[in-house]
Amino acid sequence: MVTIVMESTGERHEFRKLNTVIQLLNKLKLKSSEVLVIRGRELLTPDREIGTQGEIRIRHVVSRG
Amino acid sequence: MKCRRCGELAQVALPSHHTGFCAPCFENYFLRQVERGIHEHKQFTKEDKLVLAVSGGKDSLGLLLALTELGYAVTALHIDLAIPVSSENARSTVEAFCAKHSIPCHILEMAGKGLPIPEVKKKVNRPICSVCGKIKRHWFNRYAFEEGFDVLATGHNLDDEVARLFANTLRWDQAYLAGQGPVMPAEGRFVKKVKPLCRLTEYETAVWCFLKGIDHVLAACPYSGGASFTGHKKLLADLEERSPGMKMQFYGHFLATGKPAFEAVVENAPPLKECSDCGFPSSQDMCGVCRIKRLLES
Ligand SMILES: [Zn+2]
Ligand SMILES: [Zn+2]
Repeated sequence: MVTIVMESTGERHEFRKLNTVIQLLNKLKLKSSEVLVIRGRELLTPDREIGTQGEIRIRHVVSRG
Repeated sequence: MKCRRCGELAQVALPSHHTGFCAPCFENYFLRQVERGIHEHKQFTKEDKLVLAVSGGKDSLGLLLALTELGYAVTALHIDLAIPVSSENARSTVEAFCAKHSIPCHILEMAGKGLPIPEVKKKVNRPICSVCGKIKRHWFNRYAFEEGFDVLATGHNLDDEVARLFANTLRWDQAYLAGQGPVMPAEGRFVKKVKPLCRLTEYETAVWCFLKGIDHVLAACPYSGGASFTGHKKLLADLEERSPGMKMQFYGHFLATGKPAFEAVVENAPPLKECSDCGFPSSQDMCGVCRIKRLLES
């Protein structure tokens, strides 16, 4: 399972398999310029492969007031 | 994707520059862009006495670290708005950051100036964000002027500038279009104001903060129902996705072509008066901030 954690809300999503970061962003309806896709201490570019396990954090970049 | 500079695996993709960077090369790129913004617009030099307005958010703290790494001697200035929880968090974040990096830091307490924001909110009927913004701008400038600083910097980034430009253009607000930009020269009791992050997007600042491990405030102000430009920023993000580089072009062409035209039009605007109470520039006899203060005292 791949676990996706939305940092702003704490909301979690689980996926059996994700091909790439682009696919994940499409599923979450997010643009690559709107969020940081974080795995461990690393940022993932849209073309990176994700696979079938691990945890990924999504951090919104737009400051909200 | 590979880093354009060194060929290692990239961590950051930048479509507007048709490129990607690994972490160290991105940090290098970020600092170069800050430096380029400072030079290109003649914002300040290492000899200038510089103060930076810091909220505790990613842009201002990111800029504070970047300026420090670039070798500028900068003083941080934070305004404590006296909003329960939120102001305490912001203040302690700024104080901890400055202590960690040995950066001089000054706190202005609005409660002590007769302007605690929760009280202002009770008494004023206008949207609190615009009133609070007015109070902050007044005090940032006033502190910088009274303490003899040459330059007041803020953490506004390219996205902030483009969203503001878009809003001003929708209204064809000549005075605002003439006055907008990464540098506002000093005039009377207005100190010179600069935006060193004018070449960098919100995304790039967020990446910088992540890579540098900057601990910044994430929560929005409890009084704001979302930042005022959020709608415009979404629209512009759509445009940018379709044509990468559009934001920088829109802003760059405005500075080169649009701004001078609007400056010529508003040159004959009536000069500002001095506020009868605080002496700082005002369009009326008493400035907006002193009027709010008077309202709270009544
Ligand atoms: Zn590299
Ligand atoms: Zn005044």
